[in-house]
Amino acid sequence: MTTKLVLKVITIVICLFVVSCKHSDKHKYHTVIDKVEAETVSSSNLTVTSETFNETIKTVKFGEDGYDFLIPERKSQIASYNCTECHTQPIEKLKQDQVGEKAAHWNIKIVHAGIETMNCATCHKANNMDELHSLTNGPIDFNLSYKLCSQCHQQEFKDWKGGAHGKQLGGWAPPRLSNTCVNCHNPHKPAFEKRWPVRFNTTVEQERE
Amino acid sequence: MSETNKKWYSLNLNQSKKSDSCGCGNNEGSCSEEKPKDGFDQIMDVSMSRRSAFKKITAGLVIGAGAVSTACSVVSGDESKEKSGIEWDEYFKGNYKLMTDEDKNNTVDRLTRSYELRTGKKINISSKDAEEDVLFGYAFNISKCQGYMDCVNACVEENNQDRSTEMQYIRIHEMEDGKGFNFEESDDNYYHEVPAEGHFYMGTQCFHCDNPPCVEVCPVQATWKEKDGIVVIDYDWCIGCRYCMAACPYDGRRFNWKTPEVPEQEVNKKQHYLGNRLRKKGVMEKCTFCIQRSREGQNPACVEACPTGSRTFGNLLDPKSNIRWILDNKKVFRLKEDLGTEPKFWYYMD
Repeated sequence: MTTKLVLKVITIVICLFVVSCKHSDKHKYHTVIDKVEAETVSSSNLTVTSETFNETIKTVKFGEDGYDFLIPERKSQIASYNCTECHTQPIEKLKQDQVGEKAAHWNIKIVHAGIETMNCATCHKANNMDELHSLTNGPIDFNLSYKLCSQCHQQEFKDWKGGAHGKQLGGWAPPRLSNTCVNCHNPHKPAFEKRWPVRFNTTVEQERE
Repeated sequence: MSETNKKWYSLNLNQSKKSDSCGCGNNEGSCSEEKPKDGFDQIMDVSMSRRSAFKKITAGLVIGAGAVSTACSVVSGDESKEKSGIEWDEYFKGNYKLMTDEDKNNTVDRLTRSYELRTGKKINISSKDAEEDVLFGYAFNISKCQGYMDCVNACVEENNQDRSTEMQYIRIHEMEDGKGFNFEESDDNYYHEVPAEGHFYMGTQCFHCDNPPCVEVCPVQATWKEKDGIVVIDYDWCIGCRYCMAACPYDGRRFNWKTPEVPEQEVNKKQHYLGNRLRKKGVMEKCTFCIQRSREGQNPACVEACPTGSRTFGNLLDPKSNIRWILDNKKVFRLKEDLGTEPKFWYYMD
């Protein structure tokens, strides 16, 4: 008797399963984070790539702390690199020769930290202008200038490596190509400037009045 | 108190006698799997009363007669015949969601040809489907945005939005420090030097909810969520009832009150059927994460235009993507999270 009852209950349950509504995809996960966690793939079969959008940009590799991406190459973008083409003599000597003349970098004014913290020689190497140097006088390549910035701006550097600071170029699809510090910030004057917004909606303004 | 002499209006929840309810709480769609129909079937194979049938036939005849008279006319030229042939086919095409790949290609060809006949210019409309293992997400850094509005301009140009009514998908809200996210008091049409002292800037647009209320309310299923998470609209299926606009808690949707005007030389010729192809009067539109770009692996126009790097776009299912790093490492939040709409648009600050 009891086995019959159990059997009946089981049959009813099975029937309910078969007959009941199909739950669509949206009911499968409670939140979108659940969905992301459940469906994350380690190797995807993407048919698209960012390479097509970044063809024209010369790049160098960034590979530190387990991060692996590309940054734009810098040296070829600097107007008069190599610096030693002009800087054949020490700065003091050049200054003496050029008394009364307009110096080459007359328009560069450092608006970066205070003069007590930084001057030209904090980043530029006086005895080899083709290179930068760290606080402990280690050489830093112009292409890898983030090494210089990250000495002080460590939180920004951390965020930049992860992708929360800075800007990814081209596309979201791998391989990742991100702007390096100096692509957005002028190292001599790194703050973003105030300016007017590029748009003002005149009809919207009229309608609201 | 009896139902008949009630002195107040009540919502009558759970009391309506619904015969088609299946008892599982899921009221959308039907319980049995139906075979998808397309083209004529979608329109013709429906049960209707004699009265509404006559109405529809008359309406169809009025429109059709024009097309047929041109198509069969001996005097009108080949081009106008082709034009009315296209119009006829477009009029009777089905819902994009139910189209086969062949149907999609056909309608895309028709739209391209029709534009060429009208303007003599060629456009490129794509009907590319979602990539496998992709779910799009977006992050916005409110401490970096400076309010320059470069994103708004880029969006308008990319997505062929109506210039005359200044339709825009993105709004940048200028908010006063210390007042929280107060959208009532914030200004989204400011014109002074930015960033203004004591203010911060917050961008809103369609958040591509994972549980989108706008999709739920559409009476004709002209809007839906794609597999890669983008909420799209079939502009040719939309009837312009604006239910979705009312249902959206984020002011993400826009309505074409008039035929959109885009100067011919400014039309973005790279288009997608579900994205920036030219709209008509009386249909809804909104941000599609630039589907014509994102499906190709490219960043949306707003992300590309932003000079401050406040905007990040990426694949949520890729553990190495920037967007995933932000979700894992920054303190993120979304707007009106308590509604359960599950937006795929996160805000964070430094």
